[in-house]
Amino acid sequence: MNALLRARGLTKRFGPVSALAPLDLELGPGQALAVLGPNGAGKSTLLRLLAGLARPSGGVIEIGAEAGNRAQRRRAIGLVGHATFLYPTLTTRENLLLTARLYGLDAPAERAARMLADEELLAVADRRVGALSRGLAQRAAIARALLHDPKLVLLDEPWTGLDARAAERLSRRLEALRSAGRALVIVSHDLARVAGLAARALVLVRGRADWLGGEALRDEAALGPAYTASVARLEGAA
Amino acid sequence: MSTLVAVLWKDLVSEWRSRDRLVAMGVFALLVVIVLYLAAPPGSGPEARAHVPGLLWVAWSFAGVLGLNRAFAIELENEALSGLALAPVDRGFVFLGKALASFVLLLAVQLASALAFALAFDLDLRPVAGRLALVAALGAAGLCTLGTLFSAIAVRTQYREVMLPLLLLPLLVPVLLGAVRATNALLLEGTLPWPALQLLLVTDGVFAIVSFLTFEVVLDE
Repeated sequence: MNALLRARGLTKRFGPVSALAPLDLELGPGQALAVLGPNGAGKSTLLRLLAGLARPSGGVIEIGAEAGNRAQRRRAIGLVGHATFLYPTLTTRENLLLTARLYGLDAPAERAARMLADEELLAVADRRVGALSRGLAQRAAIARALLHDPKLVLLDEPWTGLDARAAERLSRRLEALRSAGRALVIVSHDLARVAGLAARALVLVRGRADWLGGEALRDEAALGPAYTASVARLEGAA
Repeated sequence: MSTLVAVLWKDLVSEWRSRDRLVAMGVFALLVVIVLYLAAPPGSGPEARAHVPGLLWVAWSFAGVLGLNRAFAIELENEALSGLALAPVDRGFVFLGKALASFVLLLAVQLASALAFALAFDLDLRPVAGRLALVAALGAAGLCTLGTLFSAIAVRTQYREVMLPLLLLPLLVPVLLGAVRATNALLLEGTLPWPALQLLLVTDGVFAIVSFLTFEVVLDE
């Protein structure tokens, strides 16, 4: 398998505190990985490391099958973070146009318009992001992250702030991305949504990792007890 | 080049809509003119006029630092700086776009405050306007290139408002030296000395190259 994401011995320390114990993971095209865990477990830290926004204290991260420079590796990544990464003084459309230009996309205006339509944001396309509600800003952030059709999509609590219809649309979109060969890493507390999407789950507690897979990811009813047991195991080991 | 244009466009549009940097810089420069006018009113003798070129650069350099302090503050809202850091671009061109936006804003403040200085101190700048604009632009270029680099470094520190002037001003000495000497000669003798201009050109070049090359690392966490 040509892995889109490979991490070996990945660690992160903040001074004396270990935010992530040595971790190995590999993700190929069309695979989705759920990252679960209580608050402060190191999930967002892991995502920032994978996105290249933070430097690991140890270990290696490889993005994409082919070797490339740092800019080429960044092109392969789409990140939906805790924050929206959008400029509040620019409109939603202007933010997407800026992203399209920074990523060197062809026909940036058409691309931005298509993405606005896909996310049902046309009605607020020319409204400044600073004036958008949390849910609309989250949809704009998703549009921004997916605009350049990244091979590896990293999502940190992507359903946060979305109404039921938008959340359902996002789930369908993520499923479609996975089917189209994109690799997904999804940090979430929403077990019901990730259960149907990911085939494997990484459970983190204070930077220590445990893996769930197979039957445990069948649905929320199976994932809930498996997750609770995994957290208890990791807390016991800590 | 498209990265430079995109970042420049983003910064100027954001500034046009918020006007927080331009207003702060402009008001500061104007206040300096007023204070100096009160300290050395017209008719206070040639020794007071001899300080005008230096005072002009006091207003411009501190107004510049004020603006540069805000240059990366807009990148902190919604963690937009992380979005910029994720873009698959040569980050040197991100630096150039940000530096050019600060340069344009500082030029506007320089123009307005030079006019205010001329009125307050009864100076006829018309005979030297072109050469004064060249010196002002070269000084502003040095200030904005190194200032943009240090603003990007300082923005992630706890005391960023204090950190930028502490880091920047000592290293700006060659730029200010060249700029003040050139402005002095222009306003008092009507000549533009080549050594001062040379000092400005060399320091601007060095600052621009060093900042362009190191910005890739600076934008990392």
